[in-house]
Amino acid sequence: MLVIDGMSCVFGQTRAVNNVSLSIPRGAFVGVIGRSGAGKSTLLRALNRLVEPSEGRIHWDNEDVSSLSGRALRDWRRRCAMIFQQFNLVGRLDVLTNVLTGRLAHTPGWRSNLKLWSADDRAIAMAALDQLDIANLAPQRADNLSGGQQQRVAICRALVQEPDIILADEPVASLDPRNARIVMDALQRINRHYGMTVLCNLHSLDLAHAYCDRLVGMAAGRVVFDDVPAALTEAAARELYGMEADEVLDAAPTGATQPDGVPAGAASNASAM
Amino acid sequence: MTGHSPLRDAFLANRDRIADQHAALLDPGWRSRMGTIAIFGGGIVLYIASFFLLDMSLSNLIGGFRRLADIVGLMFPPTPETWSRFYLYLGAIGQTLSIAFLGTLLAAVLAVPMGFLAARNVVANRLVHLLARRSLDTIRSVDTLIWALIWINVVGLGPFAGVLAIMCSDFGAFGKLMSEAIETASDKPVEGILSTGGSRFAAIRFGVVPQILPVFASQILYYFESNTRSATIIGIVGAGGIGLHLSELIRVLEWQQAAFVILMVLVTVAAIDQISQRLRGAIIGRRR
Amino acid sequence: MDHTVVIPPDAQLAPLLRAYDRAVAAKHRQFFIGLAFMAGAFALACIGAEIDPGLFWEKLGNFTSYFNRLAHLDTGAVVLSDPAEWFWGLRRWTRLLGETLLMAYVGTVTGAVLAFCGCFLCSRNLVSSALLRIVIRRIFEICRTVPDIVFAMIFVAAFGLGALPGVMAIAIHTTGALGKLFSEVVENIDMKPVEGIAASGGSWVSQVRFGAVPQVLSNFASYAVLRFEINVRGAAVLGFVGAGGIGEELIVAIRKFFYSDVSAILVMIVVCVMLIDTLSEKLRHRLLAMDERP
Repeated sequence: MLVIDGMSCVFGQTRAVNNVSLSIPRGAFVGVIGRSGAGKSTLLRALNRLVEPSEGRIHWDNEDVSSLSGRALRDWRRRCAMIFQQFNLVGRLDVLTNVLTGRLAHTPGWRSNLKLWSADDRAIAMAALDQLDIANLAPQRADNLSGGQQQRVAICRALVQEPDIILADEPVASLDPRNARIVMDALQRINRHYGMTVLCNLHSLDLAHAYCDRLVGMAAGRVVFDDVPAALTEAAARELYGMEADEVLDAAPTGATQPDGVPAGAASNASAM
Repeated sequence: MTGHSPLRDAFLANRDRIADQHAALLDPGWRSRMGTIAIFGGGIVLYIASFFLLDMSLSNLIGGFRRLADIVGLMFPPTPETWSRFYLYLGAIGQTLSIAFLGTLLAAVLAVPMGFLAARNVVANRLVHLLARRSLDTIRSVDTLIWALIWINVVGLGPFAGVLAIMCSDFGAFGKLMSEAIETASDKPVEGILSTGGSRFAAIRFGVVPQILPVFASQILYYFESNTRSATIIGIVGAGGIGLHLSELIRVLEWQQAAFVILMVLVTVAAIDQISQRLRGAIIGRRR
Repeated sequence: MDHTVVIPPDAQLAPLLRAYDRAVAAKHRQFFIGLAFMAGAFALACIGAEIDPGLFWEKLGNFTSYFNRLAHLDTGAVVLSDPAEWFWGLRRWTRLLGETLLMAYVGTVTGAVLAFCGCFLCSRNLVSSALLRIVIRRIFEICRTVPDIVFAMIFVAAFGLGALPGVMAIAIHTTGALGKLFSEVVENIDMKPVEGIAASGGSWVSQVRFGAVPQVLSNFASYAVLRFEINVRGAAVLGFVGAGGIGEELIVAIRKFFYSDVSAILVMIVVCVMLIDTLSEKLRHRLLAMDERP
């Protein structure tokens, strides 16, 4: 269970995250929503400790992870895998190596730096690619892939870390609707199948309604909404999104007709292309 | 490290099927890496072999480092010893700067016609520009110090030979740069001038020259910067400037003074770098 | 034919032209101030460098006669008439030229490896300690500002005559020159991959190895090849101060007026340098092409 206790992130004069307290049980699929600049991204990056929280604590199963450093910090980062909006793959390396970088925290430095991955690591990485139907892309350079494919590679990298929680920072914001579905389905499948905790920043309310079983709304760095998706009325959404409300809510009707997520089987069909 | 997570077990569960399906992809890829390994291996072997071929032994290296440490110790504190020597070195630095300045300027002036001659889009005759290119390459591949030695034989020892040496070696470089700048200049202004009924010369004067002038000016400054460095050393063979004093001081093992002269050179080069960087910024910025 | 541009009356035209002239005059003034400054500097430099146009004119004949002598053997025959006699020392000179190339190679590789190790440590985007960055940057700066031949003179005093001081001088100069270029490349990389590696628990070395190195490698290689080309030229003259290579043979020939030997050695150096220039240009194009998305 992830417990955030009074966390703030201050950059100069701005408080990007302001006194946030949350607790997220294992196996939850939590969506963080809010307009751009509300502090969603900073919240996730602070959990992975890419950004240092200025105040407050982060606990994982009663272990204080906000004060870790060195090896222990790297092990925490291994346990909370991160997925980025821009994928953050190493474009010039092939897909398999990109996935294997998820094994870095499991591998002694001298082996990984010479790319002497163990047979187990290679098998794990390949199995992860196979599960997302992109095993055939393994020898290709990552920057030759489409956005959707790159994001699936990034998910593989996250999976082979054997994480306890996946933090996804706007994972579908740079993808077209079809690829967005494929990626979100994959995350959902991982959540249901392995009971993996997923904390996912989403800009689109439509997707948030469709996939998450709990929504956390943020505005100006604070948590202003925390409930099941059904509790988010249009008035509440308008308040949350302010100026951006029309843009976000326009897409809502399709979300309303969508039943509770897409079955896992449909996802693999869709991604088989 | 965690022992066995459900994820790991799940991934390894159908290991055999995956190994079968993607056998080619799971191969460690020695064969694909063969080229890289061969190049790196060859490079390393040549590197190690060079130590034997060049007669560089470890004992030599260790003994030398001990002596080098002694020498560095003897360099402190750097001092010119007397004021008159300080003024002497200051004068030599001035001479070095003069050599660099004149050499660069003369080379630039001479390179302009040559650059046009070697540019494909100005001189249509293949033979002419090929000949021009080749002779520029030849001049360029002879080091400044060699040019200095040749000019010393012609005009005698002294800074004049240095100026001519810098001029010669830069002439090659400038000519090449100039011709490249001309070749990459946009054709559109040239077409514009020709379309108004301008002559071929007018097209170059109003179409090409304004485009390459800032590029060339900034290159000249850059070369002045690097020539300041070259001019500090041509004195070693007797072509004037601070190098003459420096090599003499090292020869007679006056390490404190040698260190002082090196410091003077470092300060001068740093100062010239700063000035030329500012000027280059101004030139490029103003024209754009 | 009628004029398509109607020339307006003077009263209307004159102010327009005056405005234009005024605007241009400022530029011209700047230009003439610059020109005067240059002329002053030129005069000062002429005095400083003891320029004597009279002497130059008088000795210009020497220049042509010098090249004339370079083109003739001791026997008085033109060099091309007897290439075997011209290149009588071919064996020895080839060995020395090979030695020069090896010196350049070892020096370049050593310098490139040192620059590679240092460049990540002095890049703002990878290292937060300002002290470490400044120290490494200063070391690079000193290494590249002191000319390699000055290092060679000092090393000859410490290590004795031979290739060793030459190699070390090249290595140190190369470290400084490449260190600066490398760190500029590193500071311009895309940081997203580095962040990706950091987020999955990679150590600093792993972040550099997998996040930064793949992005910079082809650029680094291209710079190193270019440096090798420059170092070959440099190594050819290091022998002037006794630091190995073909330079020693050349300076002896020049000092002792063995004209045909001078021209023979020069021809060998020029051909060798041009060959390496061509090869390195091809190699660099291929290296940089690897960088583009296929």
